[in-house]
Amino acid sequence: MSAEKKPDFHVVNHAVPRRDARVKVTGKAQYVADLKLIGMAYAKVLRSPYAHAKILSIDASRATAHPGVYCVVTGNDLEGLNPYYGHAVKDHPLLAIDKVRYAGEAVAAVVAVDERTAFEALELIDVKYEELNAVFTPQEAMAEDAPLLHEKQFEAGALRGFEGEVTAGKGSNICQKHHIKWGNVEEAFKNAAAVVEGDYYFPMTYAYAMEAYVAIADVTDQGVNIYSSAQHPFMVRHDLKSVFNLPVSKVRLIVPFVGGGYGSKSYTKIEPLVAACSWKAKRPVKLQLTVEEAMLTTRSDDAYTWMRTAVDANGKIIARQAKIFMNTGAYAENSPLVVEKSTNRCVGPYAIPNVLIENCSLYTNTVPASSYRGFGCAQVTLPGESQIDELAAKIGKDPYEFRLANAAKPGEEFFPGMRPFDGTLKQDLDTAARAIGWNTPLAKGHGRGVACSGSDAGAYPLTSTVVRVHADGSVTIMTGSTELGQGSHTVLPQIAAEELGVDFDKVNVVSSDTAITPYDRSTGASRTTTLMGSAVLEASREAIQQMVVMAADVLKVKVEDIQTVRGGVRCGEAQLNWSEVISKFYALPDGEVIGRSYIRKSGRFSALPVFWEAAATGVEISVDQETGKITMEKLATVGDVGLAINPALAEGQDIGAATMGMGIGLFEELIYEGSQLVNGSILDYRLPRFSDLPKEVELHLVQNQDGVGPYGAKGGGEASLNSMAANIANAVDRATGVRIRHAPLTPEKVWRALKDKNIQGSKV
Amino acid sequence: MMPLRRFAMHQPKSVAEASQMLAEFGEKGRLYAGGTELLLAMKHDLLRYEHLIDVKTIPGLNKIELKNGTLNIGGAATHRAIEHSPAVKENLPVLAQMENNVANVRVRASGTLGGNLCFAEPHSDPAALLLALGAKAHLQAKSVRRTVTIDKLITGSYETSLGADELLEGIEIPLAGKSQRAAYVKFQLKERPTLGLALVLDVDGDNIKKAKAVVGSVSPMPTESDKANGLLTGSRAQVEKQLLDAAGALAQAADPVDDLEGGADYKRHLIGVFLKRAFIKALA
Amino acid sequence: MNLQFVLNGKPWRVECEAQETLAEVLRNTLNLNGTKVSCEVQVCGACTVLVDGAPVSACTYLAYEARGKNVTTIEGLEKPDGTLDPLQQAFIDEFAFQCGFCTPGMIMSAKALLDENPAPTRAEIIHYMDGNICRCTGYVPIVAAIQRAAQAMGKETKK
Repeated sequence: MSAEKKPDFHVVNHAVPRRDARVKVTGKAQYVADLKLIGMAYAKVLRSPYAHAKILSIDASRATAHPGVYCVVTGNDLEGLNPYYGHAVKDHPLLAIDKVRYAGEAVAAVVAVDERTAFEALELIDVKYEELNAVFTPQEAMAEDAPLLHEKQFEAGALRGFEGEVTAGKGSNICQKHHIKWGNVEEAFKNAAAVVEGDYYFPMTYAYAMEAYVAIADVTDQGVNIYSSAQHPFMVRHDLKSVFNLPVSKVRLIVPFVGGGYGSKSYTKIEPLVAACSWKAKRPVKLQLTVEEAMLTTRSDDAYTWMRTAVDANGKIIARQAKIFMNTGAYAENSPLVVEKSTNRCVGPYAIPNVLIENCSLYTNTVPASSYRGFGCAQVTLPGESQIDELAAKIGKDPYEFRLANAAKPGEEFFPGMRPFDGTLKQDLDTAARAIGWNTPLAKGHGRGVACSGSDAGAYPLTSTVVRVHADGSVTIMTGSTELGQGSHTVLPQIAAEELGVDFDKVNVVSSDTAITPYDRSTGASRTTTLMGSAVLEASREAIQQMVVMAADVLKVKVEDIQTVRGGVRCGEAQLNWSEVISKFYALPDGEVIGRSYIRKSGRFSALPVFWEAAATGVEISVDQETGKITMEKLATVGDVGLAINPALAEGQDIGAATMGMGIGLFEELIYEGSQLVNGSILDYRLPRFSDLPKEVELHLVQNQDGVGPYGAKGGGEASLNSMAANIANAVDRATGVRIRHAPLTPEKVWRALKDKNIQGSKV
Repeated sequence: MMPLRRFAMHQPKSVAEASQMLAEFGEKGRLYAGGTELLLAMKHDLLRYEHLIDVKTIPGLNKIELKNGTLNIGGAATHRAIEHSPAVKENLPVLAQMENNVANVRVRASGTLGGNLCFAEPHSDPAALLLALGAKAHLQAKSVRRTVTIDKLITGSYETSLGADELLEGIEIPLAGKSQRAAYVKFQLKERPTLGLALVLDVDGDNIKKAKAVVGSVSPMPTESDKANGLLTGSRAQVEKQLLDAAGALAQAADPVDDLEGGADYKRHLIGVFLKRAFIKALA
Repeated sequence: MNLQFVLNGKPWRVECEAQETLAEVLRNTLNLNGTKVSCEVQVCGACTVLVDGAPVSACTYLAYEARGKNVTTIEGLEKPDGTLDPLQQAFIDEFAFQCGFCTPGMIMSAKALLDENPAPTRAEIIHYMDGNICRCTGYVPIVAAIQRAAQAMGKETKK
C-alpha cells in the first residue's frame, strides 16, 4: 500500500482530540477496578514467603469458618479443572500445586463478602512448607547441583507463536533456547581491523501500569464470563477455554478501559485464578491486586549479555556475536517469545554480514518475567548500541557518522529471510542529531548520544474486524483491539472516517469483548495501527462496495455506472450519501451495512515481520561528578512511523516510551537480596517523575509512507524506549570517560565508576 | 486495596486524657497524628493496633507561634502548616524550606511534625535540622512533663525515649537572631532522603563563632560530632580548609549503614559533598 | 461512625468505620469511582482529592479525617451545564493523558497548585507536581496543559 500516497487527508494524519478525552478528564472512564456485579464477592490471595518449597499441607478450616468468608481456594481444590495454563508453555498452575517456586507466588485465595474480610482470613490459613534450595540468577540455575524448578514435562501452549522446543521439565532449568547465525563470525573476528567486547547487564524492571491487575469472573453453567484488565482478551480466552475445558464460544472476556499495559498485561495473568474462585464460590468474584502484588506477578526478563562486534579497515561492521542468558523467573509466561525476539534484535538495524547470537533463558525462583514494552529489544540494545559507540571511539570515528555508515538502508534485506527494511534510519538519525545539536560545542561535564533500534514488530498477522454503517450515516467499528491509552479508540475511527467520508464524531468503537468483537490476536508489538488499522480500512471499503451495489439497486442502474464520492455515491446528476443509500435500500430509515475484513499471513502481510519498528533517540546529559547523579539536559525522539494517523498520539507514544527507557537508564531496577524482592513497593522502586523531565524535549516523526499499514503507516510506541539506556551510557562515557555496561546508571554506580577511573588514573 | 485492619478511633480532649488512654490501651493503642507513616506500616501489617488516639483533637496542639525568642510548634502541626506559616518563613526560613521539600505535597498536607519525630523513621528530613537548630521537645505524660533535646528523643531506628504513656506536646526552637546562618541540603533518589545535612552557624563578620552540623538519614538517627563542629569554627577561610576533615569526623560519628539507599562508603563520601554544599548555601 | 462532610459542594452523611479510607468511602460507599487507587503508599497521587483545598492521598487518608470538611473530587470539577474546568479542557487540548488512570489525581493536584499559585513557573509546576506519577506521557504534555490552563484562567480573571 506504500505506493498509494494521499497528501490530502481529511481526518487521517490530523491530531484530532482523543475519543476518550472527556470521560478520562471527568473521572467517568470505567476501568475493571470500577465495576461491580450484583452479588459479587471479593478475593484476596495468600502468597508464599519462600522462594522454593514443598507444600506439605494446607489447612483452611479456620479461614473458611471466619464470618463473612464464602470459601477458600487452594491447589487441592482444583479437581475438574486443567489448572496449568500458558500460551507458550503450559507450566503455570493457577494456584501453587504441591510446591511454590518463588516468594510471592499465590498459594490460596479467600473469597469473602468484602476485601477486608477476605484479607483478615488470610492469616487463618495454615500452610506447612518444607523449604528447598533455590536459584535466583541464570548462573545459579545452570550450576550442576542446581535444584530443578520444574520436574515434569509440559506441553507447548496451543498459541505458542514459534517453533522452538519446550525444554521445561527435561532435566535442566533451561526454559528456552534460540539462536541465529549467518556468515562466519570466527573468520570475521580473526580478520577484523578492530573489535570491542564486553559483558552487559539489563536489570529486572517493573512496568508499573498504574491500574494493577484486576478481574471479575462469573462462572456459571452458561460459561465463563470475565471482565479483565488484559491487553489480549482473545489469548486469555484460549487459556480459560483450556482450564475449564469449554468451547471458546462459552468463554467471554470483556475489557473496558485499561489503566496502562506496556506489555505487562499481555497474555493471561490472574484470570484463571479469579475464575476458579467464582467456580468454587458459585458467585461473581472480583480480584483486585495491589500494586505490590502486581510487582510479584510480572516483571521484565533481566539479561546478562556477552557481546563482541568487529569492523574492517573501512569502518564497516563485519561481525557481531553474542551470548545472552535471560532470567525468566519461575514460569515461562511469554519469555520464550522474548528470547526469540531479543535474539533477533541483537543485530540492531545494521547490515552485518557475519552474525552468531545464542540466547538461553533460565527458570529461577523469582517473579515470572514476560512481555515488557520493547519486548527483549531494550535488553540487547543496551549492549548493541553501546558497542557501536565503543567501536566508533576505538577507531576514532564520530559515533553518529559511524551509525549512518552501517545502518540498514531502505529496502535492504539486512536480516536474511525477513522483510526488507522499511524505514529510513539516515533520516531518523539526522533528525535526532540535529535536535540535540550534535555538532555544537559541549559544556564541561556534558555528553551526548544518538542511538537507534530496529525491531521485528507486529507479532503474528491475524486480525479481523467489522465496520457497521448505520442508516443515519453513523458508523460502529467492532474491534478486538484494546484501548490501553495508546489511542486505538481514536486512530481506528479516524481511518474509518477517512475511508467512508463521514464525520469523525459519528464513528463509534466497540472493543475487546470476545463474545461480540471479531478476533484480533493481540494488542501489543505495536501492531494495532498497522494490522487493525488495515482491517478497518478494508472493512470500510468492503462496506462501500456493498453500498455501491445497493445504490445501483436503489437508482435502478448498473453497478458500473455508480461512482463513489467522499461520503457517498454519484450516478449522473443523482448523488446519495450513505445514509440515503441505506435508508432507500431498506425503505426504512434504519438498518445497516456490515463491512468485514480479515488479515492473515498472506498478501502484503506474508513477509514477516509485519514491519520493522525503527526509531532514533538523542540525549544530552550532564553528570554531577561529586554525587554521580545524571541530569537529562535534552531529549529528542524520532519515530519512523511511515505515516502518523494521529501525530499527537504518535508523539505521545514516543515520549512515553523514551521516558520509560530513561527510567531504566537512570534508576529503575527490581532488586533481589537472597530470596526476597527487597524493593517491591513504589516507595523503593524509583519511577521517572516530573523532576526527571529533560530540560529540553523535541518530538519528531519521520513520515515517508513506507509502512505496510494504512496509507503507508506502521507501528510505533516501543522503539523510543529501546535505545535509551545505551544512549545514556554512551553520553556518560562522552561526558566523563567512563564506560558503564550495567543499567541502571544510578548515581552511586556512576560515582563508583568515576572513583575507579580516578584511582586507575593516578596509578598511571 | 490493602485494607487497614479494624480499629477504634479515640478523641482525647487534652494531653492528660491522651496519656490516660495510652496507659489504658497499652500495646494495643498508639497515638495517631496524621497517619502518613503509621497507616502505611499498618497497611503493610508491620504494625497492628486496636485503638488509635487522635492527638489532633487536642485543642491547641497544632499551634505555631513565636514566644520569648523561640518558635513553638505543636506536635500536631502539619508539615504544610509549617511550610506556609508566615512566622516560620520570616523567622526561620531554613525550616520552611526544609518542610517544602518533605516527601510530596499530599504527605505534607496530612503528615505532622510531631508524628514524624515520634515515628523516628531514619530516612527523614526534620530531625536532622531540628537537632542542628538546638530544638527541644516538650514531652508530657499524665502528670509529668519533661523537656529533651532531639538527640534524646530519637534514640534509634524507629525508636524514641517516649514513655508508654508519654506524648510529644510540641517543639521549641530557639531563634538565634541575625548572626545565625543555616542551611539544610539533601540527596534523595527515591521517596525518602539518602542523606540530609543540616548546618547552623553563628557568624560574626568573617568569623564563625559556633557551628553545628548534623547528618541525617545515613544511619539510624541524626548525628553530630563535637570534633566536626569544632573544625567548622574559626575564620571562614580556615574553615573552608577544614571542611573535608570536619566531614570525615562527622562521617565517623555517623557511621553510615549499607542499605537500599546506598553503600556506607558512598554515604561517607556524600557527607563531604553535602557539608561543603551546606556551607556554601548557609553563607550565601 | 456517622460521617458528615461536604462533597463537591453538597452536604453528605454516610456511615463508615474508623479504619476506612476516604478512597474506600468514595469508591465503595458512594460509587464515586473517578478517584483512582494505585500505589497505596502516597507516592503516585492517583487518588488525590482536595480536603479544604489541600491535596491528600485518599488511599491512606482516613475518611474520619474528612468530618466537617469540604472534599472535592474529580467529579466536582465539571460544571452542572457540562462546562469543563479549564484544567480538564487543557488536558484534552494538550493530549496530557493516555491510559487516563493517573488523570483524575493529576488534575486535582494541578487544581490545588493553581488555586495556591495561579501563575506558576515551569520549575514551580515540576516541584509541586513531583508527587504525581504518570507512566504514559513522560510529563511533557502535562506541564504544557497546566501552563495552558493557568493562562486561560488568567485571561478569565482579567476579563
